Amino acid sequence: MTNDETAAETGVLQLTGVTKDFGTTRALEDVTLAVRRGEIVVLLGLSGSGKSTLLRHVDGLERPSSGAVEVLGEQVAALGGQRLRSLRSRVGFIFQQFELVPSLTVLENVLTGSLAALRGPRLGLWSYRRSARLAALGHLDRVGLLDQAYQRADTLSGGQQQRVAIARALMQDPEILLADEPVASLDPESSDQVMALIREIALDRGLTVLCSLHQVDLALSWADRIVGLRHGRVVLDTPTEGLSKAQVMEIYGRVATSTTQLEAIQVELLAEGVAGAGR
Amino acid sequence: MSAAVGVRPRAAAPAPAGPTGTPPRRRVSPERIAGALTLLALLIASAVALGGVGIDPAAMVASWSNAERFFARVGGLSFPDPGQLLYFTGLTLGLVICGTLLAAIVSVPIAYLAAANTTPGNGWRAAARFVGVLTRAVPDVVLAMVFVLIFSLGTLPGILAISIHSIGMISKLFADAIEQIDEGPRLAIRAAGGSRLQEFAAGVLPQVMPSWVATVLHRNDINLRGSVILGYVGVVGLGMQMSFAFKSLNYGLGLGYALVIFVLCVVMEVVSSAVRAAMLGIAPTGRGIGDRVVRAVAPADLHARLRRPWDRPRVRNAVWGWIAVAVIVGSVLICDIHWSELITVWAKVPALAAQFWPPSFGSYDAGTMFGAMGETIAIALAATLLTLIVSVVVGSLAARNVAPTRGLRAGMRLLLVLVRGIPEIILAIVLIVITGLGAQAGTIALAVGGVGLLGKLIADSFEEVKRGPERALVATGATRLQVYAGATLPQGARALIGHTFYLLDTNIRAATLLGIVGAGGVGYYLLNASQGSNYGTVTAIVLMILVTVLVVEGLAMWMRRVFR
Repeated sequence: MTNDETAAETGVLQLTGVTKDFGTTRALEDVTLAVRRGEIVVLLGLSGSGKSTLLRHVDGLERPSSGAVEVLGEQVAALGGQRLRSLRSRVGFIFQQFELVPSLTVLENVLTGSLAALRGPRLGLWSYRRSARLAALGHLDRVGLLDQAYQRADTLSGGQQQRVAIARALMQDPEILLADEPVASLDPESSDQVMALIREIALDRGLTVLCSLHQVDLALSWADRIVGLRHGRVVLDTPTEGLSKAQVMEIYGRVATSTTQLEAIQVELLAEGVAGAGR
Repeated sequence: MSAAVGVRPRAAAPAPAGPTGTPPRRRVSPERIAGALTLLALLIASAVALGGVGIDPAAMVASWSNAERFFARVGGLSFPDPGQLLYFTGLTLGLVICGTLLAAIVSVPIAYLAAANTTPGNGWRAAARFVGVLTRAVPDVVLAMVFVLIFSLGTLPGILAISIHSIGMISKLFADAIEQIDEGPRLAIRAAGGSRLQEFAAGVLPQVMPSWVATVLHRNDINLRGSVILGYVGVVGLGMQMSFAFKSLNYGLGLGYALVIFVLCVVMEVVSSAVRAAMLGIAPTGRGIGDRVVRAVAPADLHARLRRPWDRPRVRNAVWGWIAVAVIVGSVLICDIHWSELITVWAKVPALAAQFWPPSFGSYDAGTMFGAMGETIAIALAATLLTLIVSVVVGSLAARNVAPTRGLRAGMRLLLVLVRGIPEIILAIVLIVITGLGAQAGTIALAVGGVGLLGKLIADSFEEVKRGPERALVATGATRLQVYAGATLPQGARALIGHTFYLLDTNIRAATLLGIVGAGGVGYYLLNASQGSNYGTVTAIVLMILVTVLVVEGLAMWMRRVFR
């Protein structure tokens, strides 16, 4: 418990004044954000607001133009080679497009999550240790896809594929879970399943979660804390506890940029009889 | 083959003019004009070459009686005894498979270095591509001539010649496949902490495998056809037996061997395209009856699930896998490779290298040689033009979205497979019988052989065009021909140019080889010099070929960039 508390104070994840430029485009501007251990944080914002770029910085897939990214006590920008890979192995990443290898079996895809702990390239199931295969099957059981273990990944539905990707992340035994629009490519029913699964797993294992979304409803019911991004800047950082939908919608107005979207929000709020929504 | 590396945005659209201004002028970049002029010049040169070759259908018909008399004198085909025939067939197949496989293995690291998304650096990339271009430029016959000299008789010269020459094409296509993968899975493995090599094995390899296998099978077909000519310079197998038969004026037996080779090539072509189609088209659903049974009886215990169930995809993969292993092992065994020679041979290299240097034209004067090289280029250009004309028609009709009926498409596809199966050398030999020695036979042989390749490439790329524009034109009430001219052809035009240059490239090399059987051009002198041990001359001729091939290669790359 004491360990947890010290970790909670320092934060498992700390961005300080992070700015990122791609050529002349500024993707992130002076972003400062600290996430405590076990916290479930949702990044809210329109596409192009910098959510994905922020997540990629945490995993060292991008390096900041200026500022510092500290993850699990390591300065990510200073790492390279084996040390960067071992940090990445402690951080699970779930992608919008699942990013499974289509022609491999589901089980092999899950096993690729353990590559960082192994030396050298692996070809075929037999090249993974029996204990690893057992663990992978266990994770597949956890996400409810044990029966599909030996099917090709591309024969699964979108929701199933995302669950395989979650199992792959579990294979890393991560401390932090990053998710980049994990349900943006899914139908509503699969979305609910996947989001519920991520939350259950996070609570079970005490994972720290940083997840980007664009559905306000989902964010509100799901997260401990919401961080709003707009044009690469943090424009909002608030706990969800006690927030009403109306408040969040209003907040979303601050996050959203286009006037048409604002109008849509106002219409929705008026329809629900929320006073003062148009102000 | 035509995939240009490094996609750049197209030239900016012309500035829009206001409604009251003059209509905007279309701006064409100078490079494009230069490209178009070069194309035009090539076209004219090809037409002139075609005229120069003097293909005279009337004379050919007239000389048909030659052929009849010839065949009457031959007294029909004859074949060697079946046991011998079977052995040489196995030997030829084994040699070709070993050569192709060796090339495929060597091509993996070269492709890794040459692909834009996996290369560790631009220096590596340039080096890898240079290796590819160089190995492609040296004809396999030349390599075989040299290797036959260094190694004692056996299969090694053929295997090495085939494999070195194949590296260029295989590594290029391998690299193209790597560049076309979905980067997502690879990124996911990187995000999970995988190393570069792990990324490659787990993220890249599974994605490119079907395309790689298809490439190797395709190259294997080409090498099988090419192995015929290798027989003329001393590589064992059916080709050598055929050349012996012709040299001893036993035409019946020679043509018998030619027929066997033709059948073998067609069978191989059919088998490999069936395998390719099966492999690229497989998408198991996991919903088959077998899968459901397996699932129903499978216990929930994790340990019991450690073994992959023998479902249909696994059985199929295992069967194909073992067949492949058997074929490879059989190939290696029948080739009876003297591995030790690979080590002892190095002692002979310095003395031999001294014989090949310096290059000289020996007893020939430079004018004759350049003239012969010119004739080779003329044959290649003329043949390419003839092929292009025929292939646009045949290839279009073989495309699903162009052919008026399915029957016609099927017929055209079959025609293409048959034509592709004919080794050009055999065609040339038969044509020489009809037209006599010279450029005419070579041109027609190349032109016919080219239809098999270009026609297929055109048909495939026409089938790959976007359907939307075609449907839109159909919806406006356009006729079939209008749809073809208005939507299919414009979309396929760039691929058409790329494929035609690829054919020209292939034809220049093939044209040099055809000379070996007497179909005109520089190949005749090449064989003479090699048989007369004038190795300086061999070097000089090879250098001429190399320069020509590199120029065409450069031109093709430039064209692909300009007409992207």
